[in-house]
Amino acid sequence: MVSQHGVKLAVYLVSSYFGDLVAKVCECLLRKGTLPLRSIIQYTELHERQVRNCLLVLIQHNCVQAFAIEQQGGFGEAPKVITQYMVLFDNIIHHMRFPKFLEIVLEEFGKECQEILEGLLQHGRLSLNQILDRHKGTSSDSEGNCPAKDAVEVCFSRLVHARYVERCPVHEPFLAPPQDETGAKKRGSKSAKVTEELTTEQRALLAAAPMEASRFLVASYADTDDNEQESEENLPSPAVGEKRKQIDSKLDTEVGTKKRKKEILWRANFEEFLRHLRNKACIANVRARFDDGVAIVLNAILEATRCSETKVKIENSVPLLVNSIFEEVIKSEDGRTMTLEHVRAALVELGCDLPSISIDETYSIDLKHIIELAQNEEVESIVLKRYGMEAYRMFRLLSKAGRLLETDKIADTVFVEKKETAKILFMLWKDDYLHLEKIVATGSRQAHFLLWKVNKQTLWGHVLDEMYHAALNLRIRTALEQEQGKEILQLPKDKLVGDLEKRHSRLRKARILLESCLMKLDDAIMLFHDF
Amino acid sequence: MSRSQDTTSLKRKREDAQQTKTPESVLLSLIKSKGDMGIWKADMKRETNLPEPVVNKALKILQGRNLIKEVVNIKSKGRKHYMAMEFQPSNEVTGGSWYTDGKLDTNYIDVLKESCLRIIKKLKVATTEGISEFITRSRITKNDCTRQQIEEILNSLVLDNEIIEVKSTGLGEYHSIPIGTECYRAAGGMGLGQGVRIGAMASFPCGVCPRLNQCTPDGIISPKTCVYYTTWLDF
Repeated sequence: MVSQHGVKLAVYLVSSYFGDLVAKVCECLLRKGTLPLRSIIQYTELHERQVRNCLLVLIQHNCVQAFAIEQQGGFGEAPKVITQYMVLFDNIIHHMRFPKFLEIVLEEFGKECQEILEGLLQHGRLSLNQILDRHKGTSSDSEGNCPAKDAVEVCFSRLVHARYVERCPVHEPFLAPPQDETGAKKRGSKSAKVTEELTTEQRALLAAAPMEASRFLVASYADTDDNEQESEENLPSPAVGEKRKQIDSKLDTEVGTKKRKKEILWRANFEEFLRHLRNKACIANVRARFDDGVAIVLNAILEATRCSETKVKIENSVPLLVNSIFEEVIKSEDGRTMTLEHVRAALVELGCDLPSISIDETYSIDLKHIIELAQNEEVESIVLKRYGMEAYRMFRLLSKAGRLLETDKIADTVFVEKKETAKILFMLWKDDYLHLEKIVATGSRQAHFLLWKVNKQTLWGHVLDEMYHAALNLRIRTALEQEQGKEILQLPKDKLVGDLEKRHSRLRKARILLESCLMKLDDAIMLFHDF
Repeated sequence: MSRSQDTTSLKRKREDAQQTKTPESVLLSLIKSKGDMGIWKADMKRETNLPEPVVNKALKILQGRNLIKEVVNIKSKGRKHYMAMEFQPSNEVTGGSWYTDGKLDTNYIDVLKESCLRIIKKLKVATTEGISEFITRSRITKNDCTRQQIEEILNSLVLDNEIIEVKSTGLGEYHSIPIGTECYRAAGGMGLGQGVRIGAMASFPCGVCPRLNQCTPDGIISPKTCVYYTTWLDF
């Protein structure tokens, strides 16, 4: 379930990118959950055409996924197949991170590739032809010499090969009703077991995702429509097929002409970008805690296992032989001076145990632990700023202990007078940072003890919600500052003198500060939500 | 002469004790029974059923004879607590070794903390024993610190994020420390004065705002009119 301010931020983002109507439909889906078209029209009180268009925009930009599901008919009626729309909250929030994604590609592959990605991010989904067309348009405008079509295609396949770009999921996969045993068995008993534990939304996402084998396959033009075939396999009933075609044609009005119907659509693979950002965050954390050597080793491990990872939220890195790690380490410029001994020492610092016999010496890094430490650090720094050094110490003590501790015990450990300790602890408790339990002992004399604890699960949710709230505030303020300074910002340079120049530079500074804060905050949001 | 008087008084006392105990002896035995915990005056009254003036008088006599002493109890500083002369107040009464006269000795703690931190920075990596030895050798403090005290100091430095607890790998900096031994090293990149790294949330007004809960886009408290933002963005 998405937190309150998460919804607000997502709606604000959609409204600023795609307008208020789309935001209204999006908010309806975020608040009420997955809905069919009928209900969306009912809740939003918009015209059917408007809702349809809004949904198309959202689908085009990968913010909504449609899927068909069979519903039990009324008494004596045949079961109906209806199309449901589910909103993809994460993908909406990713819109905020596009500059980061572009930066990653620029760093790794250069300007050409960045332009291709920019097109994909701007338009949500594009076919290769559209990418080529777009490229012709933009580059001839700016420089006059357009790079050869082949060069663009090479760039494109490099992006796909690096998994930064993937094939779009199926428009509208069909989900067999969960109680229908035969439907589940078709996919094989193993996957049936997995699907049983998933929600309808998760199942739909799984069904829509292109097969791993074809996901990053840059196909020649001969077999472009195998994606379509896949979807056909997923859609057994003719009624669904018809619906899909409807959606297809709707999409086509958005995307282009009928000719492109059979072309494969591509989109940015957010998952890979997030993995990249996660690795970056882990390495930065390790570098701050230990030294560059450890960071180099971790970087090498993550780099070498990049293709074997399957999702963003992994607990441990993929096990790797020590020799492969060393090989990867000495590939990088900074790691060239390291010896095997160095690498082993770094691995130990990263929490690995050295095996006593060095046959098949493999290592896997506990990434979850690194992420947890980074999360702790973030929350602790909030506590420090809001409640002071003593509260920070107490919070760290409780967070490390992970269990209930008594007031006096806390006071003794953090060197604070007992009464003062109780005061600070109450303050933290009042703002939901601590969990409190009272114990009344009925002995010779009645005494009551106060026991405190950090309940990470609820607190992390609370912190994340506050972060969404803060991000929304930053965006609102940024927009306001821009709005207020519009006239000054539009003035030509030669008119900026005296007071005007001062105000202009203040506006510029304010924007830079606000935006850099937002980017940093977004890193923290990812730390708590995505990694 | 005097000797005979003494013996008679002693005799009388013994007789008294056999018949009815004096308030002093009753109180003394009660106080002694509480050992190093001591006892509050009101509790004495309740447990012995003696009236207040009698208790007061008896306590005065006992104190005059150097049989009992008054101690400060950290939990209730206003209440008078008494303890038999033979006992040293327990940690529970004094508040532990860091308390002198019922007050937390922050000066002493700070001196110790600073010295420990300096030692760790100098040695790069150190065990509790190493630090403890260093402190005794260099006579930083007037009175000796126990190993326990040093450990508490180190623990608090860990909570301050000034040092971190690590296990020796036996390699590099750790070569003199057996593998697996708990030791401490200065936290990287943040030394004295540099403080703790400030997180993303804590570096702008919303992260530390006490009114964030009441803040809405168009409310009375709003990012559009926020005074914290205005001062923050005032260059």
